[in-house]
Amino acid sequence: MTGEAAARAAEVWKIYGHGEAQVHALRGVSADFQRGQFTAIMGPSGSGKSTLMHCLAGLDDVSAGEVFIGDTRVTGLGDAGLTKLRREKVGFIFQQFNLLPTLTAQENILLPLAISGRKPDQQWYDLVIKTVGLGDRLGHRPTELSGGQQQRVACARALVARPEVIFADEPTGNLDSRSGTEVLGFLRGSVHEFGQTIVMVTHDPRAASYADRVVFLADGAIVDEILQPTETSVLDRMKNLDNEARAAAPGNAAAQNTAGQNAAAGGNAVEETPDA
Amino acid sequence: MLKAMLRGLLAHKLRLLLSALAIVLGTMFMSAAFVAGDTVAQGFTSLFSTVNSNLDVQVTGVSATGQDNPDVITALVPQSVADQVAKVDGVQESTAQVISDGARVIDKNGKVVPGTAPRFGAGWTGTSSLLQMREGNPPSGPDQIAISANLAQDTGYTVGDKVDVITLQPRKTFQLVGIFGYAGGRDSLAGETTVAFTMPVAQELMLGKPGNYTSVDVKAAAGVSQEELKQRVQTAVGPQYKVQTADEAAKSQASGVDAFVNVLKTGLTVFAVIGLITGAFLIFNTFSMLVAQRTRELALYRSFGASRGQVTRSVLTESVLLGLASAIVGLIIGIGVGWLLKKGLEALSHTNLPVSGVVVKPYVVVLTLLVGILFTVVAALVPSLRASRVPPIAAMREASTPDKPLRTLTVLGLVTLLVGVAFLVLKLTKVWKDPLWLVLGGGCLLVFAGVVMLAPALSRPVTRGLGALFGGSVPARLGTRNTGRNPRRTAVTAAALMIGVTLATAAGVFASSVKAGVTDLFKNDMKAQLIVQTSDFTGTTGFDPALQAKMRAIPGVTNAVAVRTDQVKLGGKSTGIGSADALAAAEIFTLTAKDGTIRPLQAGEIILDENAAKSLNASVGTELPLITTRGGEKAEKVVAIIENSQTWSGPMLNTTDAAGFTSPYAQQGYVQVGPDGDVGAVKDQLNQLFADNPEVNVVDQEQLIKQSTSFLDVILAILYVLLGLTIVVAVLGVINTLLLSVYERTREIGMIRAIGMNRASTAWMITVESILISFFGALLGVVVGTALGVAIVKIFGGDFLKLTIPWAYLIITLVLAVIAGVVAAILPAIRAGRLNVLQAIAYE
Ligand SMILES: Nc1ncnc2c1ncn2[C@@H]1O[C@H](COP(=O)(O)OP(=O)(O)OP(=O)(O)O)[C@@H](O)[C@H]1O
Ligand SMILES: [Mg+2]
Repeated sequence: MTGEAAARAAEVWKIYGHGEAQVHALRGVSADFQRGQFTAIMGPSGSGKSTLMHCLAGLDDVSAGEVFIGDTRVTGLGDAGLTKLRREKVGFIFQQFNLLPTLTAQENILLPLAISGRKPDQQWYDLVIKTVGLGDRLGHRPTELSGGQQQRVACARALVARPEVIFADEPTGNLDSRSGTEVLGFLRGSVHEFGQTIVMVTHDPRAASYADRVVFLADGAIVDEILQPTETSVLDRMKNLDNEARAAAPGNAAAQNTAGQNAAAGGNAVEETPDA
Repeated sequence: MLKAMLRGLLAHKLRLLLSALAIVLGTMFMSAAFVAGDTVAQGFTSLFSTVNSNLDVQVTGVSATGQDNPDVITALVPQSVADQVAKVDGVQESTAQVISDGARVIDKNGKVVPGTAPRFGAGWTGTSSLLQMREGNPPSGPDQIAISANLAQDTGYTVGDKVDVITLQPRKTFQLVGIFGYAGGRDSLAGETTVAFTMPVAQELMLGKPGNYTSVDVKAAAGVSQEELKQRVQTAVGPQYKVQTADEAAKSQASGVDAFVNVLKTGLTVFAVIGLITGAFLIFNTFSMLVAQRTRELALYRSFGASRGQVTRSVLTESVLLGLASAIVGLIIGIGVGWLLKKGLEALSHTNLPVSGVVVKPYVVVLTLLVGILFTVVAALVPSLRASRVPPIAAMREASTPDKPLRTLTVLGLVTLLVGVAFLVLKLTKVWKDPLWLVLGGGCLLVFAGVVMLAPALSRPVTRGLGALFGGSVPARLGTRNTGRNPRRTAVTAAALMIGVTLATAAGVFASSVKAGVTDLFKNDMKAQLIVQTSDFTGTTGFDPALQAKMRAIPGVTNAVAVRTDQVKLGGKSTGIGSADALAAAEIFTLTAKDGTIRPLQAGEIILDENAAKSLNASVGTELPLITTRGGEKAEKVVAIIENSQTWSGPMLNTTDAAGFTSPYAQQGYVQVGPDGDVGAVKDQLNQLFADNPEVNVVDQEQLIKQSTSFLDVILAILYVLLGLTIVVAVLGVINTLLLSVYERTREIGMIRAIGMNRASTAWMITVESILISFFGALLGVVVGTALGVAIVKIFGGDFLKLTIPWAYLIITLVLAVIAGVVAAILPAIRAGRLNVLQAIAYE
């Protein structure tokens, strides 16, 4: 099964801070992300979704446990190793688009290849451009593009290097629903048509319903998952999670740590088992 | 509100530090100049009052030739006058002195003891509270001398040694019988060396006039004031003698020092101001950035009800505080540097100034702080006004700084540039000549300002073009694009560098043109291949003019001339004059008669050049009264007027009447070697001819050219060191701008790191940006500096200027700019490379 996984987390712990201010953002998370699968990670605010994604992508180091991308062990890589990994195996899509304002759309898309000194595969490039539907906008600067168009450029940028896995942190967070739908459709298309692996963090049940699988995080641990989700099944599951959390809340000391974020999300996420 | 804003200011510590450093450097230079100057001035004033502590009134002669240098005998006090002074009522004691420059001691190695300080020869008048015997006895016979302790130390001579001294007369051997020093353990008063002879010997050797003195020092009897005694003595000796009180004497002796101190002060202040102007660009940038970054914060204050005035004032207050703090630090360091300068000067001149520590006058403190604050506030004015224009609504929306169009600025810059060029062209075509400072200075300034205003518009295309040189790699491309991103900021940063480079380049063009011009003159108009010259330029050293015949007799030599120079009064005007064999001089210096004929001059005959003829209103046949130091007054008849020449300027006197010159020696000899003569062999012969004269040496034309232009190298070297200051400030500006860029683009840098750019490439990206900014600034400076240099050379014209552009030097400047760019990039590049990718992306 390891051979099939594009990304894998094994017993990953992530602890921020020391002493009083210590936060357990991840508590022994183990998860496989299959090749050619579109996985959504969901959970209440502060549950550790972004942290998990950052650890998987090698942007952050883990406190304990191991992370693999393909057959590369990410844990323990130095800056050079991580740079190589990012060039060859990982793609990113950010909530804020993060395009370079000095470059045109086309230059932005080709940037990862230019950085690693690779030549774009013309056919693949044409296919990606066709799919994102930016044909007549390629010569424009990011400031001359709408938010949705910018995010599609960002998607194309992630795809064009054919990475092992693409990580997307709330890619539709800054988009209206129509643009969001376009981007999600495009992401799903790239998984189903080109066999791309995508891991996406989202708050939005509708966005999650585009995925093949939804993993639910609560207070740093995976608490559930749904295959072939629909908008309603995801919503239901989230409500349940909230209720469970609320029920478990009183008297739980660990909950105090994340009280701020939890309160903000209007819910409460508490681990099922106390600290080992 | 102010408090809250100040906290905002402190959040940008590093950037403030860099701006502060610029002001610190400028104010430091300024205060150091003033402190060192004042200290040296005070030191010498008290030194000369010590020198004059033994007298109340001093009587000296009035120079007949208009020369006012007390070191050279021009006006003497005869014995009869000295006796008169002694008899004046109220004189307790009067001492007639002989002290004159030009007693050259031959060191143990056979060479004249080198040095730039005066080498006094004096008549012994006994010890005093000021002068004390250290060893041995005073000179009591005609072949005995005593020397000052510093001279003993320099040469290693001890009592009992035989010592050779050259004076007005050739080298003579004396017996060293004593060594003396001065009150307070000083070996010398101000670095001068002194040889004391018995009085008659001093009169003979130093003045060439037995029975004469250089001054009479008078001590007043009890109850007679200096002023009163001065009046009485003046009445007794008459108006042809100068009578001064001790204070007046000290002041006139210190006048040379004052001039030096003023040069030091002005020079360093000019550079301090240039440094501060450069710093102002940096501060302008810093405050613009701070304001831009704090748009939201400022808008928030505005939405809370802060008025525009309040916002402007708060930003200005920040600048006042920054200026004040920097100026205080600059002042403190400046005082330290002033102390070092004083120590350096003391070491250079072998003196110990009678001042402990340094003199810090209140005006220096006030001025330094004021200037520091002024420059900072003026530089922050525009940004603070911009801050007040931030609308409250900006608090609500994404901070956006729309690029204002550059058109107005560019048009304005173009107009300014053209007006500046017009000024220079008008001056060049002599349509508009005066005042020089306005036509030339104003023209240069306008050209410079115009280019500064054009810089933003130029920055994008130029840096794009230059960026292509870095190749098409991703970091190079991104770095290039980033440079063009904020044209104003890039331009202001580059302009700071441009100031120093423009000045240095213009100076370089001018200097190399002078060099080329002088070289050409020598090569074309001076036909002597070998030149005999004295080792110093005091005018008292040299060789017997009769040796001209011997130089001519050397096989291979076709012509030779010995030239004597002095200062005289001709036709009622004080002027420099030369004397030489007219025919030989005309041949060797390529002189042509405009009027009359150049022929061997008899006693009572003189030749003038056009300039001298014009200023004396003389023509061929005119008789002019000539007063020489030793010869009294004689009439000289003009026999020819020669065309103005760069190889010979001023009047040429017949050799007979030159006997009245101060020095009996010729100062230069010019030797022309025939086409089949061997220059090397002639040089050897000449060296042999002067073998027993340690004060002259023989150089060839190349060496002479080098010597004549070496002062330019010294001036340029000093200029470059000082301009280095402005360049350091400018580099601080580049660092500042880059740090801001890295800060502003944290997210972007995080992103490109996230998609696979490694640290080295990220650092290279920043470095490319840095090099481009520096190079752009240096390029503007080199272009504008060369243009202005060419304009100045063309405007001044003249034979001694031959337009030459120092290409190698320009290329070095540009290479240095690249290096400066790399250096400036170090810190920002490390920052960019170290950015935590995750934090960079999460960064809001
Ligand atoms: N750099 C950090 N230092 C300390 N604590 C951190 C840090 N980053 C995250 N945390 C904590 O770790 C926990 C998980 O944070 P994370 O950002 O992964 O949550 P999230 O699920 O992405 O939330 P959201 O939906 O709001 O984005 C939170 O309690 C957060 O406060
Ligand atoms: Mg998150």
